[in-house]
Amino acid sequence: MRCRRHCFLLVLAVAGALLGARGEEAGVAGMALVPAGDYAPLLRGKDDPALVPVAAFWLDVRPVTNAEFLEFVRAQPRWRRSRVSPLFADEGYLADWAGDLELGPRAPADAPVVRVSWFAARAYAQASGKRLPTTAEWERAAAAGFAQADGASEAGFKATVLAWLVQPTPAPLPPAGSGRANYFGVRDLLSLVWEWVDDFNTAMVTGESRADSGLERTLFCGSGAAGVRDPSDYPAFMRTGFRSSLRANYAVPNLGFRCALSR
Amino acid sequence: MKTPAVVLCLGLQAAAATLIAAEAPAPCCPPPDPAKAAPCCPAPAPEVARKDAPCCTELAAARPLSAKSLYQLDVTWTNDAGQAVSLASFRGRPLTLAMIFASCEYACPVLVDDIRRMRALLPEEVRANTPVVLVSFDTVRDTPAALRAFRERMKLDGAWILLRGEAAPVQELAMLLGVKFKQDARGQFAHSNLFTVLNTEGEIVHQHAGLMGDVSSPAKVIASLGR
Repeated sequence: MRCRRHCFLLVLAVAGALLGARGEEAGVAGMALVPAGDYAPLLRGKDDPALVPVAAFWLDVRPVTNAEFLEFVRAQPRWRRSRVSPLFADEGYLADWAGDLELGPRAPADAPVVRVSWFAARAYAQASGKRLPTTAEWERAAAAGFAQADGASEAGFKATVLAWLVQPTPAPLPPAGSGRANYFGVRDLLSLVWEWVDDFNTAMVTGESRADSGLERTLFCGSGAAGVRDPSDYPAFMRTGFRSSLRANYAVPNLGFRCALSR
Repeated sequence: MKTPAVVLCLGLQAAAATLIAAEAPAPCCPPPDPAKAAPCCPAPAPEVARKDAPCCTELAAARPLSAKSLYQLDVTWTNDAGQAVSLASFRGRPLTLAMIFASCEYACPVLVDDIRRMRALLPEEVRANTPVVLVSFDTVRDTPAALRAFRERMKLDGAWILLRGEAAPVQELAMLLGVKFKQDARGQFAHSNLFTVLNTEGEIVHQHAGLMGDVSSPAKVIASLGR
């Protein structure tokens, strides 16, 4: 296994070197380059900047599929459904699969893998020599429209995103990568499943505003939408709320992931 | 400008190094010497056993950890004296665990005070055998010296263990405890005000959220564990 991984990395590195020697951007198979830019957080403290710079990074073009995740659990038995520690994945983990190493009709090979915990997603990313994207990176990539880098000012883009939110999730899920590519060449960010981000636990909108965190005092003193970038960005509220409701061992329907790589 | 290929290769090398590190076998604990262990921890006398805690901890370490034990994590932390500490070394005693940062202006001193109030409710023999571990969010500023200054400022005795670690294990621990945290533009951390009680096997048995609340529930849980 170790050899296979290292050979894979070596091949990638050599391929990268060859491309680089020709003076081109070293591409990574299945990943799109998201150029450096800014991320405008939906919520921020009163001292936080409105724009957070995001360095250029590679992002998987589509979410990780059931077939790919199956390869991973084959190689790393501790991430199989029957063996995973409840610390790292709850009882919903891979529950759509027919068995430990069998996908079955509810989990088509080319559909995005869902019901994976943050720990499992991160372990997959590490095994692939990648990592999970940060909230800033994910949101930066998802802010692009189909035809231009700024989706918010693209006619019809917001409506398309909202249309997905109001549709019930099809079962089984359609193939990953079947959505339309955005301006950066990334697919399915806003139209297939929710996705884990590495620092999902920085979304601090907790239910217990009295109790367990300090940020609401600055954010929500006065009115709920004060300090919010764009109160009409309903999907961004949905994502923030969804992230804040998660715990790292949750394995829930419609929540998958994709990987990133620093440039 | 560096060529992207070089950057990519370096990135992949780093990734490969991480993989190798991740695959290295966990350091193996030596099995307890039965000749030494036998007279110290007779099974039918738990009271006697507790007094010989270090020996019992060694014995306990030989048993496999439960699936829900946080002590499965193979992470080495550094205390405020600069020494390496593993959470698993607290196996055999109930533990109070919280995450803080030393330059905290508001919540952390209150959180520490809440834990102190909670400990005051414990029977003395239980309190003596129930350490408190505070792990810092602040992987940059909270050096052992900064934690030492925090210990002095907060007047924390030897029952309090102050730990720092690298960003990845800090994040992992926060994830396991359900602690949310986020560094703001001034370098302060907004964070959950939460402390956690682990049983003798390192499993989460109670969490107390909020500040300046009634801390009798966690005290009862610890007292029942320490009995």
